[in-house]
Amino acid sequence: MKTGPLPIAALLVILAGGLVVATGLGSSFIGPSRVAAALLGNGSRTDEIIVWTLRLPRVALATLAGMALGLSGAILQRALRNPMAAPSILGVTDGAALGVVTFLWFFSDDANVLTVSIHWQPLAAVAGAFAFAFLVGLLTVADRARNDPVRLILYGIALAALAKACVTLMMIVGPVYRASQALQWITGSVNAAHWMDVGVVAAGLALSVPVLILMRLPLRQIVLDRQTAITTGLQVNRHRIGLLVLSVMLTALAISQVGAISFVGLIAPHAARLFHGQFRSGYLLGSALIGGILVLAADTFARTIASPLELPAGAVTALIGAPLFLLLILRRQVRNG
Amino acid sequence: MIRTLLLLLLTLLIAVIASLHLGVHVYGPATVWQALFGGAESSSEIIVRTLRLPRTLNAVLTGAALSLSGLFMQAVTRNPLAEPGLLGVNAGAAFAVAFGLVLLGAVSIAGIGLLAIGGALAAAALVFGLSGALGPAAGPTGILLVGVTVTAMLASLTQLVLLIDETALETLLFWLSGGFADRPLPLLSIGVGALAIAFTGAAALSTSIDALQLDDQSASGIGVDVARTRLSALTLAALLSAGAVAMSGPVAFLGLIAPHITRRLMAARPGFLALSLLAMLTGAIIAVLADILARLIVAPGEAPIGAVLAFVGVPFLIHLLRAKRLRGVGV
Repeated sequence: MKTGPLPIAALLVILAGGLVVATGLGSSFIGPSRVAAALLGNGSRTDEIIVWTLRLPRVALATLAGMALGLSGAILQRALRNPMAAPSILGVTDGAALGVVTFLWFFSDDANVLTVSIHWQPLAAVAGAFAFAFLVGLLTVADRARNDPVRLILYGIALAALAKACVTLMMIVGPVYRASQALQWITGSVNAAHWMDVGVVAAGLALSVPVLILMRLPLRQIVLDRQTAITTGLQVNRHRIGLLVLSVMLTALAISQVGAISFVGLIAPHAARLFHGQFRSGYLLGSALIGGILVLAADTFARTIASPLELPAGAVTALIGAPLFLLLILRRQVRNG
Repeated sequence: MIRTLLLLLLTLLIAVIASLHLGVHVYGPATVWQALFGGAESSSEIIVRTLRLPRTLNAVLTGAALSLSGLFMQAVTRNPLAEPGLLGVNAGAAFAVAFGLVLLGAVSIAGIGLLAIGGALAAAALVFGLSGALGPAAGPTGILLVGVTVTAMLASLTQLVLLIDETALETLLFWLSGGFADRPLPLLSIGVGALAIAFTGAAALSTSIDALQLDDQSASGIGVDVARTRLSALTLAALLSAGAVAMSGPVAFLGLIAPHITRRLMAARPGFLALSLLAMLTGAIIAVLADILARLIVAPGEAPIGAVLAFVGVPFLIHLLRAKRLRGVGV
């Protein structure tokens, strides 16, 4: 396994290049050099408006959300010692969707107007995500075969289906305008991004950094099996719950802004593991960077492939992520058998 | 067996009659009778004849087809979680139909049927092939993981296809959400055909499938061609689920719960042929009841059948996951 700062530097370069290219692509193409000039503040006035107020918030939001998802997946897989765990598979995403729909339904009046600020919506997503993560965790803990890593995923799948059914019903019962609002959110797209949204995700990421630095030792110890981890002086349960909370929070924050984007939290850590030792401290950073690159690429592809129509970015990530997940299941089985 | 059969038939009859009466407007028996046999032309009678009756028939056929499909799958894979909705077979048929309608412009009834069958067969081959590669160590849940993932992939492919054609999106979104109402009547013939073929197949395969309930070795020991039985049964299952998708769009969970309920209806374990007959009736009853519920719970709106079934199916799925002996269907 290669280690060292080189892969991280390479990822940073790819991400920076991707940001410039993605900002340039759109209804009017802007060359990389003009984008760079606009970013540095010495481009033409039109270029600067397009770049700073139209394109960049969206591109930045996609990247940051992807980073949060990648990081969340890496933490989740580490905390559960389960390489197949991913936030979107555990029912968290659909739980967040249910939170959003409930919020829109509960706080709309008869005239279809929201009675509270729309800025509470992320909070509703976070609450829904936590509620369903909690339920999935509860079911798994109550299961006799709880040590089988697949159980957690299966309960996640089951509860996700239930959450989806609730969402559908509430959208039908709820006012039409709100339904379309919710649908737009659920299909997972990054359009209509504002700097405000970017700030929310960035704040979440920034807050998780000191937490992760504080937990750097437990993060390594928790990879060991339970008994050994306890012997090394780790309070396994407490740290596991702490890491799970952090992971769910990051996912919820990301999807509350960009909608249900699936499979990123699953793939990014695996990709990071491919060229970066998972016991190096750069592993989490690598997962985050790859997650950012993935969502940025998916969103850019989704909005340019059939322009002016727009594909939900979540569909693109599912299309790439699902075969990889299958590969993962097959490889795991080969190793076990 | 005979008593259970008669009881199920009676229940189905009651459910069908209730389905004709209940809805946003509750019609009296006289109106329904007039609509069916009298040929009167008041608006309520037309509603019963052209809306309620077709959707009830559709529910009966779709329910029977999905239930039998689930039974076939569960029996030959010995996997209690096998089901066309969860294993990607429905999604495969749905993708093929969407693909055909948008890109090839095939709109004939026969075209839709053929597309659905092709998609269902391909998806079934993919899922069962992949889970076969997992080997027996994967247990009954490995196939579920593969199926759910293939479903996610096919669903996003369907989304891609729909993006190309916005008008197709309008019509297909409705169809893809699954449900028994407002479906073109001629499509029912596909379901009838699939059911007839599959039930004949069930009769032909029943002794082999019964032998398969032991294990592969014992079954081949008494002269059963295990691979061929399994392949034929899964093909029939895919055919049934394709028929169901062509009629009503992808409907999940019905194929999962109906066979389990059927098995629990009887103290003794009947042979596969008897079981498939009972399963078809049970599936039809569940579908009709779910359809009535879909009309009532959010009236005057209408709930998608998939959502109604999820509320029953998910707790059932969780129960199955928690069951002591997940392996082996002979609960």
